[in-house]
Amino acid sequence: MTPDPLNRLVAELAKLPGIGEKTAQRLAFHILRAPPEYARDLSKAVLEVVEKVRLCSRCFALTEADLCPLCLDPRRDESALCVVEGIADQMAIEKTREFKGRYHVLHGVLSPLDGVGPDQLRLKELLTRLEDGRVEEVIVATNPDIEGEATALYLTRLLKPMGLKVSRIAQGLPMGGDLEFADPATLARALSGRREL
Amino acid sequence: MRLLALALEDFRNLAAVDLCPGPRVTIAVGSNGQGKTNLLEAVYFLATLKPLRAGRLAELVRFGADRARVSGRFELKGAERQISVEVSQGAKAAFVDGKRAATLEDYFGGVSVVAFTPDDLATVKGGPDDRRRLVDRAVFNRFPAFLEESRAYARALKNRNRLLRDRTGGAVQEAFDATLCRAAARVWTRRLALLAELAPRTAKAFEAIGRTAAPAELNYRAAHLSLDLARASEAERAAALAEALAARLPRDVERGFTSVGPHADDLEVRLGSRLARAYASQGQQRALVLAWKVAEIENLRAALGYLPLLLLDDVSSELDPERNAYLMAYLADSGAQVFLSTTDASLVKRAAGPDTRWLTVQAGVVSSLAGP
Ligand SMILES: Nc1ncnc2c1ncn2[C@@H]1O[C@H](COP(=O)(O)OP(=O)(O)O)[C@@H](O)[C@H]1O
Ligand SMILES: [Mg+2]
Ligand SMILES: [Zn+2]
Repeated sequence: MTPDPLNRLVAELAKLPGIGEKTAQRLAFHILRAPPEYARDLSKAVLEVVEKVRLCSRCFALTEADLCPLCLDPRRDESALCVVEGIADQMAIEKTREFKGRYHVLHGVLSPLDGVGPDQLRLKELLTRLEDGRVEEVIVATNPDIEGEATALYLTRLLKPMGLKVSRIAQGLPMGGDLEFADPATLARALSGRREL
Repeated sequence: MRLLALALEDFRNLAAVDLCPGPRVTIAVGSNGQGKTNLLEAVYFLATLKPLRAGRLAELVRFGADRARVSGRFELKGAERQISVEVSQGAKAAFVDGKRAATLEDYFGGVSVVAFTPDDLATVKGGPDDRRRLVDRAVFNRFPAFLEESRAYARALKNRNRLLRDRTGGAVQEAFDATLCRAAARVWTRRLALLAELAPRTAKAFEAIGRTAAPAELNYRAAHLSLDLARASEAERAAALAEALAARLPRDVERGFTSVGPHADDLEVRLGSRLARAYASQGQQRALVLAWKVAEIENLRAALGYLPLLLLDDVSSELDPERNAYLMAYLADSGAQVFLSTTDASLVKRAAGPDTRWLTVQAGVVSSLAGP
């Protein structure tokens, strides 16, 4: 019989995505065997992440203050706004250091099958944000799947009449990735979107 | 492309099979209910990751076992690859040379298989869904991207049907309609491209086996669409669907179901001016399917530069002697690697040669046979 506190930890860990019962057990034993400071640091980090991290009141990215560092940074170009599905997508684009504008995180995409409509996304907030007329171009960077495409179309129809330039990120092959490993549908799309050199 | 070795564990009623197929023809003989179709299905599953007979994946696991496994060594474009598929708890996992294959597509690029079963023979007479399945199976083989593209269409359709049922309407409905139209246009492009290749080949093959003066004609019939899809561009196809969706919206909302699009279409099969479904004899209908299959094989040979793997499940007993003789001669001459199953070895003898591998299947046990 394992002691209850251990069982509780295993049960909590097993609720994490991608973590099965066995892995949860291994992690719990690891925590148990590590020096006690580790457990204290870990639990503190876990608590702080929920107590201190919240959504930026303007772009809905993660932040510790009311506004995130990107929204506060005066060097960012406020005429270009990149709309993404989630935080991970924002982080991926930011990592490229190519985009100098600001972001808006929708926290999802339109998905009737999952019961997600416009009201479940940060769309009203996007429209409110655009009211001051500083943004000139909206770049829609949702995923190229059915829901991401539909959301992009929905946004286009909503924003174009407001006199905004709306663009969609291009689809194609990942750079550095081998052509031979690309899936046929991606390759087919890339081929039909070819350009003359 | 060759299957050099095949091993099964707990696949349907086959507990353990380990065999080397013949370089060309492999024939499984056995009476009904012994596991012949299961053996062919294992090969089909290995090559396509789809069960041959409709149903849930869990049905592939032998009663009482918790995992089914099929693995095979293939010779593909001069290299040997070990491919395996496992099913447990209703889910499948594929491995190429021991490494988990991230996408099924990695896989489809290399292996193609044409299956021919008694169910196929009823396609001409059957419903539009049977004929769409016949077409789509051929499209998967011909255009590997279609797997992803047809899934995208299915998902777009499900989303739209949900919106119809929820009576959402408005801009959200319009956005999903537009997405559906694009995905649908892609499906049409693929199906029509395949038919453009296959229709003349089918007509030619039917000429040889049909014993019918009237020529075989195949036409794609897009439900509720006035546009001639075959002559239109992909963008025009999408636009035509958008128009039809708009026109049929009240009806579709009423029914909670999208009534127009590739999922509602049919393949029209004619003998001259007459619809084969209504007027052709059973023998002619079966000959039409046989001609389609031969056309598909020949078309893949032309397009891929190699022959697909052929699986023929007990079809000889369903064909009349003359057409069966044609099929057996075709198989013998084609040079393709073929798996045949039969209850009566004499029906398939004509396809066999000195290098044919004869097997018996009895109560889930597969063993070698010196010859019939
Ligand atoms: N998952 C399974 N586990 C064990 N037996 C199965 C399973 N699925 C089908 N069977 C059995 O396989 C047999 C049918 O095999 P099949 O290959 O269709 O026969 P045939 O030789 O006539 O083609 C039936 O006896 C059926 O009960
Ligand atoms: Mg059978
Ligand atoms: Zn912000």
